[in-house]
Amino acid sequence: MTPTEIVDPVAVLERRTRQKWTAIGRTAVATNTITKRLNELLAGLSTADTSIVVFGSLARKEWTSKSDVDWTLLVDGQADPQHLQVAQEIGNQLAKGKFQEPGASGIFGNMTFSHDLVQKIGGRDDTNENTTRRVLLLQESTAIGKPDAQERVLRLLISRYLKDDRGLRFGTVPYKVPRFLLNDIVRYWRTITVDFVDKQRDQAGHGWGLRNAKLRMSRKLIFATGMLSCFSCELLCSSEARTELIKHNSTVAMEEHLRSFIKLTPLEILATVLLELKIRKKTADKLFSAYNAFLAMLDVPKNRKHLKALHPDDVPSSAIFAEVRKFSREFQAGLTDLFFNDHEKLRELTIFYGVF
Amino acid sequence: MRLVGFSTGALAYSDFQLGLKIINENHLKAVELSALRENELFPLVATVAGLNMKEFTYVSVHAPSKYDPARENDLVKLLQKVAERKWPIVIHPDAIRDFSAWKSFKGLLLVENMDKRNLIGRTAGELAEVFKKLPEAKLCFDLGHCRQVDPTMNESCLILQQFAGRLGQLHVSEVNSRSTHDPLSGASIDAYARIASMIPEDIPVILESTVRPNEVHSEVHRARLALPLSSAANGTSKRDAKYYQNAFV
Repeated sequence: MTPTEIVDPVAVLERRTRQKWTAIGRTAVATNTITKRLNELLAGLSTADTSIVVFGSLARKEWTSKSDVDWTLLVDGQADPQHLQVAQEIGNQLAKGKFQEPGASGIFGNMTFSHDLVQKIGGRDDTNENTTRRVLLLQESTAIGKPDAQERVLRLLISRYLKDDRGLRFGTVPYKVPRFLLNDIVRYWRTITVDFVDKQRDQAGHGWGLRNAKLRMSRKLIFATGMLSCFSCELLCSSEARTELIKHNSTVAMEEHLRSFIKLTPLEILATVLLELKIRKKTADKLFSAYNAFLAMLDVPKNRKHLKALHPDDVPSSAIFAEVRKFSREFQAGLTDLFFNDHEKLRELTIFYGVF
Repeated sequence: MRLVGFSTGALAYSDFQLGLKIINENHLKAVELSALRENELFPLVATVAGLNMKEFTYVSVHAPSKYDPARENDLVKLLQKVAERKWPIVIHPDAIRDFSAWKSFKGLLLVENMDKRNLIGRTAGELAEVFKKLPEAKLCFDLGHCRQVDPTMNESCLILQQFAGRLGQLHVSEVNSRSTHDPLSGASIDAYARIASMIPEDIPVILESTVRPNEVHSEVHRARLALPLSSAANGTSKRDAKYYQNAFV
């Protein structure tokens, strides 16, 4: 059985650790319900050239009661003035369906063009928005309606990251980890952590508590699983794919591996790695129980409201934020065990690729 | 040398006789007689019965891509006349309603992989589902369609790997974003050349590029550049072909 063939790795891990992560299960079920509604609501608005791509909690299968829908109309085809009307119609339909609008960053709720994503990886034209859309497309995205455009762009992105990575194809380093991709994932994580402080200043603390909690948990999760996806090329890829890369400098099979791997949600990736690398149950429990506590907290509207309104100066008096600190530290400890303490090869890779 | 010919439909819309004349004038030895529209099939079958096609090394017929489902059996009966001449019949998988009706063509039936507009027959996985229903059918591999579905060409590798034994004919052209067939560009030539060595040299190549009669010769030349023989491949395409060939073993 290949890593991506484990049916519901989170459920398997739950059984192995003899735990019950009810919030994780509940939010996954809620995601299925919402996805079904969205498919009905947005029927007929996607084509072979355009996919309605959703990001965030919906794509991660972590839908909580006040989640918003971060979406974009991904265009991969002939230019058409009608695309704008389609994007507006998507917004109208979501408003009619009483879905929360995406945040005011301007990254979501409009159109995204494939050429920018594929052609501008790095360089001065690779804007913050472009990087965000590209990395999120790779790490937490799903299509509502026709997935064709999204799948094509994902194939192209992975192909670019791997084929342009001369170190991966021709290098003499003993590991086969796509460093170009890894660096983009690391760059994106560092960018959002820096932007967090910028927003704190710019928005005078508005939304700080919720952003902080997400940074500690869901944002950090996709950073960690982004790294694990890259490391999976060394740790979990088929021996044939590695042989082809080493003997013939071919990335084709590695691209297929990565394409299947990133189709999993971040929690599924994490569970798959924990299972496949036989990581200690204690670490698995730490990670998933902490994440379960995070989702359970977010799923209570008054908690989310409290965090959204929480100003940094009011942190000492917030019992809810104290709870966030507690489970986020557990989560951090779990990640430290996973990346540095529980698996020798993963530790080697983390030091080799994650530090310098 | 690969056997390269043209589809009559690419050279003369809905007029296979004119297309055939242009192909003849260019001394090509492979032809696909196109009856993409239902009303084109009867006159085509009636006319070719009396035509001497001996100058062609390879002849195939492209069955209609759309037809009234109620007439599917009549269509299959009509195509039996084509099969009697041992000419392969190219069919779009999404055109088939009753798979059992088409089974009788056995290895003469060439299932074509589809472009991005279709919901079936685009990828190796989707083609496998079709071949389950038509176990003896072969594959008409449309390179342009596959490149449109996956510009990285990885899916082309997967299809060629998985269905090597079924490969019966190629369709070659550049398929644009509107899914129409253009002449080969430098980009498509480069993409196809990367996988050319996975395609046996005796597989007939049918060009679907929409070109004027005076452009036939140059398009054939471009097709030969896109599908170099192994011995003629340059260093880069040889190396790429090697690793594509082995990538999915």
